[in-house]
Formats: sequence, structure tokens, C-alpha cells
Amino acid sequence: MIDYPVFEMPVLGHRLIFAIDAILHVLISHGAAVGGSVVLVLSQWWAIKNNDQKMYDLTYKILFVLFIAATAIGALTGIGIWIHANIIDPPAIGSLLRVFFWKWFVEWIVFNVELIFLLLWFLTWKQLGWEGRHKNIKFGIVYAIASWLTMVIITAILGFMLTPGNWLTSIFPTQPDYVASLFNPSWIPSLMFRTFFAIGFAAAVSMYWTWWFTKDDIQLRERAEKFFSKITLLSIPPTVLFGLWYYSQIPQEAKALMFVAGLTTKYVGHKEMLIFALLGAFALIMLAVFLFYVKPRGVPFVLASLMMVSYVFLVAEFERIREFVRKPYIVYGYMYAHGIRELDVAHLNNVGVLKYAQFVPVQYRTVTEENKVKVGEYLFKLECRVCHSVNGINAITKKVKGLDETAIYYRIGTLNSPATPFMPPFVGTDEERKALAAYLASLVQDKNTQVAKDNKGGQ
Amino acid sequence: MASNFNNPVFPSLPNDIPLPLPTGGMDVLLVPVFHILLVVSFLVHIVFINVLLGSSVLSVINNWIGHLRGDKNYDRVAYLLTTPVTISENMGALWGVAPLLIVSVMYTAFFYSASVMNSPQWLHIIWGNVVAFLTSYLYKFSWHKLENSKALHITIGAIAAILFLSLPPVFMSTVQLYITPSSWAPNTHFWDVVTRPDVIFRLAHFYLGAFAVNGMFMLLYGVYKRDKGQDLEAAKILIRQGKAWFVVPTVLNLFVGTLAFFQFPNYGIEAFYSNGFVIFIIISVFSVLVALGMLIKEFLNDSIPTKVVYISALFLLVTLGSMGITRHGMRISLLEPAIAQMQKQTQEYITAVQKDYEEAKSKPSVVDVAEASHLSEGEKLIAKNGCTACHSKEQKLVGPSFKEISIRGYTAEKIVSLIYNPEPSNWPEYSPMPPMANVPKEEAMKIAQWISNLK
Ligand code: HEC
Ligand code: HEC
Repeated sequence: MIDYPVFEMPVLGHRLIFAIDAILHVLISHGAAVGGSVVLVLSQWWAIKNNDQKMYDLTYKILFVLFIAATAIGALTGIGIWIHANIIDPPAIGSLLRVFFWKWFVEWIVFNVELIFLLLWFLTWKQLGWEGRHKNIKFGIVYAIASWLTMVIITAILGFMLTPGNWLTSIFPTQPDYVASLFNPSWIPSLMFRTFFAIGFAAAVSMYWTWWFTKDDIQLRERAEKFFSKITLLSIPPTVLFGLWYYSQIPQEAKALMFVAGLTTKYVGHKEMLIFALLGAFALIMLAVFLFYVKPRGVPFVLASLMMVSYVFLVAEFERIREFVRKPYIVYGYMYAHGIRELDVAHLNNVGVLKYAQFVPVQYRTVTEENKVKVGEYLFKLECRVCHSVNGINAITKKVKGLDETAIYYRIGTLNSPATPFMPPFVGTDEERKALAAYLASLVQDKNTQVAKDNKGGQ
Repeated sequence: MASNFNNPVFPSLPNDIPLPLPTGGMDVLLVPVFHILLVVSFLVHIVFINVLLGSSVLSVINNWIGHLRGDKNYDRVAYLLTTPVTISENMGALWGVAPLLIVSVMYTAFFYSASVMNSPQWLHIIWGNVVAFLTSYLYKFSWHKLENSKALHITIGAIAAILFLSLPPVFMSTVQLYITPSSWAPNTHFWDVVTRPDVIFRLAHFYLGAFAVNGMFMLLYGVYKRDKGQDLEAAKILIRQGKAWFVVPTVLNLFVGTLAFFQFPNYGIEAFYSNGFVIFIIISVFSVLVALGMLIKEFLNDSIPTKVVYISALFLLVTLGSMGITRHGMRISLLEPAIAQMQKQTQEYITAVQKDYEEAKSKPSVVDVAEASHLSEGEKLIAKNGCTACHSKEQKLVGPSFKEISIRGYTAEKIVSLIYNPEPSNWPEYSPMPPMANVPKEEAMKIAQWISNLK
């Protein structure tokens, strides 16, 4: 994104604000829309079949929560993923749109169906009442199908970013193959994996809310909890199977990054920590669901809450790993995380990136002895800022602490080496590399002198 | 920096995305479709947003009037208006997605640059919206629970309405900024943009239009209720308020709109005229005057004929449609020269990239050089496994030189284990080395032997 403006996101950094939005969206789109629609239609159907009006009313209460979450948070954070991508990595999202425009457009049409039927299902539930139950459930069924179809399309795009397959028919001019990019290798397995996961997760969410809504009707609690926990239990085997298939489709280099992704390089020596944490969360969920199934009365609220926390942890960790293993790319093998395409590297190494840096003031587009620290700061913003903040999260100051300018200069030359394969290479001329080194060195030197001064002041 | 605002000069323009438009080569056929989709979907979006803004404000006002006068009918009107709010906030957001998609694909670099310049404030359209949605749901669904704490309830509604009203300035700044690339400078930022006269006038025009459109909606809603024989008293209030809210803002907008038009950069206005888009302004003004005339004539008549309402609504629709085209015409007129410059510079860039790419490809890569040269096997392996990012044989870099390490006299086995599990405490003056799990066992052993033989 060397030719775009760069915005400042103090403290949080770019990656974190994106992650907050994306994880909220995944939790709600899976737990409420895709999974929730299926689970609540099933429970409405079950209530109708057994003539169980209390279960019917309980379903509405859970649907109320789903409606608020899906429309106020789920839908908006979904648009939010775009908006965040627009400002964090404009060339990447711009490229994806060029390739996937029509798929996204179809998705938008399906969204219309989804939203209209959700509004109908929810807003007419009370009006139609128990008498109108057969009519009302039909709205729910259409909503569930439409929700799932939106996931079909979005997983194609996510799959593409990680496993694009052979999607370019020509590189000069770049010409995508629209069909191949849709049928990328991880599409179907990731879709099925997410579908079953979502159903199990949504049933767990329903268990949680049932606990809340049935404080004064223990018999209803028993029926409902048993029903929902059965859904989660049934969803686990297919989730695991499709998960394994999905895993087998991921590129070898990406798999190699999995532990760094889950743990950060600092703890990557302690692989067991990640495994314990993931297995622990999984075991907790199994325990809670199983207890809900065999002895719904006996499940303490703490356990129900821990089950939710574990689910959130698993989702967050899964999405974190999925995002991270794609590094250093944003579109695997085509575009790096900093928005520079592999194809551009040779040219930009010859002439420099500053030549094209439209939003760097003109006086900083050529490196001189006087301005090189300032130029280095701009280069940092253009190429490193997507992943590193200065002092906050993944702070660059921590990464170069204790290094002098020469050492930093060397390190910058080999960012995309086996030691740190998740970083894109530094792109630019030797002068630009020196300027970046000068800036990074100035950050830590300033700090060192600052510390020295503080110490003196204290004594 | 001298402003080029009024001239077609674009000092800061990114390159276009180097991928074709998604038309499958059928630009002639599909580009017009994009234009039509953009205008139509944006119009639907705006109508929903108008109703959302107007109805959330009017629900609060009527709730308050009802509370002050102790009149249940106003309370009823206020409650009735929450349903269009729920529907239009959801549908409005959804129908904003289609224009967002199309703008992002047709005017990618313009729209994204403006979004970035206006960030992080631009994110308010997501997070501010989430909070507004939640507050408006709280307002709607706590109606009966808070019947006896009206002050609290009205406050909640007012917060929701204010939050919704706080979104358009952010939108308008980005929209206006992306179609005026002549105003871009490296330090352009949100607060400069939102206070620009062109943005402020357009914003005023937009707010007035929103209340006018919502006025028409209330009128239609009232007539619909009246004809169905439901909520007759509430319907009467809706009809009266609807007429007033349509007529007053519309009259004001005739002036504000004219002023807003002349805030655009001169070169855009000139192109707008020479492209012939002015005809759509004439149509808009004419048909809105007809609608105004019809409603002013029936202004004091509570039993205004249904047909009059429908026909005036149709005229308003014509105005909205041709305002939509006017808006798009201005966008085209402003962006035409900028797009031409962008295409040219992108083409030059791609040609240069292709040349250097092909040249680099014909040269051997660094690893090949390492393979081919007469480096020792150990030296090849440290290059291959990325050790040279931090170590060199002789010189201290990020880590100590391999010579220095060899002096410590480790066994080869020890070195292998240090590669996989470094012990930073051995080198307190350095930052810690990351574990190099990627190195194959045999290669690690060879590297280790090479290191121990250095001393
Ligand atoms: C794709 C995201 C990404 C980009 C872009 C990126 N980095 Fe990094 N970088 C990382 C991650 C992730 C780490 C390791 C964090 C951790 O410890 O887990 C890292 C670590 C580092 C380290 C410490 C590496 C070591 O020796 O252990 C340095 C130095 C560094 N980055 C510099 C840069 C510079 C300079 C740039 C810009 C030219 C840059 N990075 C761009 C993601 C990135
Ligand atoms: C990201 C930078 C980096 C990379 C890449 C790197 N090292 Fe290191 N290495 C260091 C630093 C810093 C130290 C000193 C501090 C420490 O031991 O943690 C070090 C120390 C060592 C030591 C001495 C360990 C001790 O405890 O005395 C050995 C041996 C070593 N490195 C070998 C290697 C080999 C072999 C590779 C390539 C497979 C490699 N290093 C890659 C940074 C790096």
C-alpha cells in the first residue's frame, strides 16, 4: 500500500482493531445467524411436534437474543470487516473485490432474503401466536437456508485467500480465472467444518440462555437442555472429520507456522502450552455438554459460563491461527501483507518505494543524510505498520531493542527468511533500507538515553 | 500547500488495482449496468436512511409531547414510528452494502484513499452504528416496561436518535473527499474535511432532505392507517405532522441545495454542465414544486384525499430519482480527469514492473548463487536456514558471530539443542534468539559441526 495514505491507530495497532471486529463477527454469524437459525428452527419444530407451548415460548426468548445480536452486531461487524480492510490494506481488499465482485453481489442478494425473513420470523412470531405456528416456522426455514448460503460464498473467499490454487491465467496483464478462484481447494472442507461447528456452538449458546430463562421452570429446563445438548453432541463428530480434511488442504509452509501463530515466537518453544489450552477448552465444553445431556438439573451456572468462555477462546484462537498462517501473504503467493505484490518486488527494489509514495510529502521522497530518520519513519508506516505498532501491540521497539544501526540494517535485509517466514521482505533500495534502519535505531537509542537520563534524575 | 481544489490537478493519486474490472471483458455491456445499479441501490439506501433518521427523531418528539400533555394518541404515534425505525435501520444498512461494493470496484483507489484519510474516525460508521442500533432496540423493547419512567425512556430514545444523526457527517466527509481528489494532500485529515464548506452545505441539504422524505413517509403511513380504519387519532397526527415535515424542509432545501451545488470544484461544475446533467436538476426542481403545491393546497385539510397523497409521493419519487442521477453526474464530472491520470500512471507502472520482473527472472536467485559458489557446506546451510539473518561468520550482527560462539566450546549435540531451544541467559547482552524449529535434524547437526570447527 505504498501509494495509499496511512492512518494512525494509536496503541491498539491495526491488527487488533481488525481482530476485534472480525472475531465478534464470527462469533455472532456462527453462533446466531448460521447455527442459531438451524438450532432455533429445530427447537420450534420440536415444540410444535410435541405440542409443547412452553418450549415454543422459550424458543422465542432465545430468538429475541439472536435477533438483537445478529442485526445490531453481526450484520454491522460484517460490513465492518470490509471497512476495516479498506483502511488497513486497501490494495488487498481492492484486489479481492475485482476477483469476487459477482460472488459478493450474489451474497448481497441472499442477504436480502436472509434479513427479510429474519424480520418476518421475529416480528410476526407474537402476532401469529401459537395458532399461526405452522406459518411462522416457514419464515424461519427460509432464514436458515439463506444464512447458510451466505456462508457458502464467504468461505469461498476466505479459502481463496489462503489457498488460491491456480487462479491467474496470465500475470502480465494479470488476468484471474474466476471459476478456479471459486473452486479453491479448501472451500468445501472449510464450509462443512464451519457449518457443523456453528450448529454445535449455537446449540451451546441456546443451552446457556435456556439456563437463564428457565429459572422458575425446572421441568422445561430439563427438556430444553437435553434437546440442545443432543444437537451439540451430534455436531461434534462431523466437525472433527471436516476439520481434519480442511487441515489437510492447508499449504505446508502455513502449517509450519501454526504454533508461532497460536503462541507468538516468545513461547513457540512451549508447544505443549497451546495444545493443553486447546484440549482443555475442548474438554471443558465436552464436560458441560455431556452433563447438560445426562443431568440437566445438576449443571451449575459457572460451568455453563465456562463452556461459553471456552467456545469464545476456541473461535478466537482458530481465527487468529487462520489469519496468521497466511502470513507473509494477504493473498497467498500473490500479494504480501503490506500490499506489495510479489511481481512488484524486483522493480521496487530497483527504483525504490518512495518514488510511488503519493502520500509522503515530496521532500521526504528522496533520502538524504539529514532527513533519513524521518524518511525511515514513513517507510515504517508504509511497510511495517500493518503488523507492528511503535510502542503498543507487537511493538517494533521491543523487536529491535539492544541492536545497533548496522545490526538492524542486516536484520531488515532478511525479514522473510526461515527465522521469521511470516514477515514479508523489506522492499526498496539499499538507501531506503538504511533510512529505515536509522529510524528504528533512533527509536531505541532515544529510549536508551531517556532511560539513562531518568536513572540519573532518580539518583 | 497551495490548494488545487478548483482545478483538475491531482498531486497525490495512487495507482489503480492492476486487475481488470469484473466484467469478463464485456465492459461495454456491464459498465453501464454498474452505473445503474449504483444509482438505484444508493437511492433505496438513502430513502431507508431518511426514514430512519426522521422517524427516530419524531418518535422521541411525539413521546415527549404525549408525556407533557398526557395525551395517549401522541404516545401511540411515537410507538408506531419505532417499527419503521427497526425496519429501516436494518434495510438501510443492508442497502448501503450494494453501493459500497460497486463504488469499491469502480472507484477503488479514490474511495479507499478517502477512507484512510478520514480514519480512524471513519470507523464510527461501524461502532457508532452498533451502539445506535442497540440503544434504539432498548428504546423500542422497553416501551411497556418503562411506561412509568418516561424521562428515562425519552432520554434513551434521544441518545439513539443523536447517535444515528452523528453518522452522516462521517459519511459525507468521506463521500465528498473521494470525489474531490484535487483537494488531497499528504496531511489531509477528517477534521479538515468535515469542516469544509462543501461538506457542510451538502450535509445541511441531506438532513433537510431526510426530514422531508420522512414527512412524506409519515403522511403515507397516516393515510394508510386512516383508510384501514385503525388508530384514527394517531393517523390524524401522522397526517398533520407529515405534511408540515415535508413542506418546510423542502422549501428550505430549494435554497440550501442551490448553495451546496456551487460549493463543488469549478472544473466539476463546468464538466457537469457540458455533460448535460443539468437537465436532471431541472426535472428535480420542477417535480418537487408540483408535490409542494399539491400538499400546500391541502395543508389544513385533515381529510386530504388519498389520491392526492399518492400522486405527490410519486412526484417526490421522480425528484429523488433525478437527484440521484444529478449526484452521480457530479461524481462522473469530477472524477473523469482524475481517472484518466490514474489509468495513465498505472499503465506506466505496470510496464516498468514487467520489464524488471522479466529481467530479474532471467538472473539466478540468491540461493542459486549460494549453491553455485564455492562456499563450504556449512555456509550454504546457514544461508538456507536463515541463520544469516542474524549471524555472520566473523561479525557481530543481531546475534554473536559464529566464531565467537565456537569459542564457548560447545559439543555439536549441545549446539543442535541450542538451535531448537536457545538459552538467552548465555548471552545477556543480546536480545533472545527465536527457536529455529524449521531446521531439519541432519542439517542442524552439520551446521553445529561447522560451528564447532570454526575456532
Ligand atoms: C505480516 C506482518 C508483518 C509485517 C508486514 C512485518 N512484520 Fe516484523 N514481525 C511480525 C511478527 C508476527 C513478528 C514476531 C512476533 C512475535 O514475537 O511473535 C515480527 C518480528 C519482527 C522482528 C523481530 C524478529 C526476530 O529477530 O525475532 C523484527 C526486527 C521485525 N519484525 C521488523 C519488521 C520490519 C522492519 C518490518 C517492515 C519492513 C516488519 N517487521 C514487517 C510480523 C510482521
Ligand atoms: C532472529 C535472529 C537470529 C536468527 C535467525 C538466528 N539466531 Fe542464533 N542467536 C541469535 C541471538 C540474538 C543469539 C544470542 C542470544 C541467545 O542465545 O538467545 C543467538 C545465539 C546463537 C547461538 C549460541 C547459543 C548459546 O546459548 O550460546 C547459536 C549456536 C546460534 N545462535 C545458532 C544459530 C543458528 C544455527 C541459526 C540458524 C538456524 C540461528 N542461530 C539463527 C539470533 C538469531
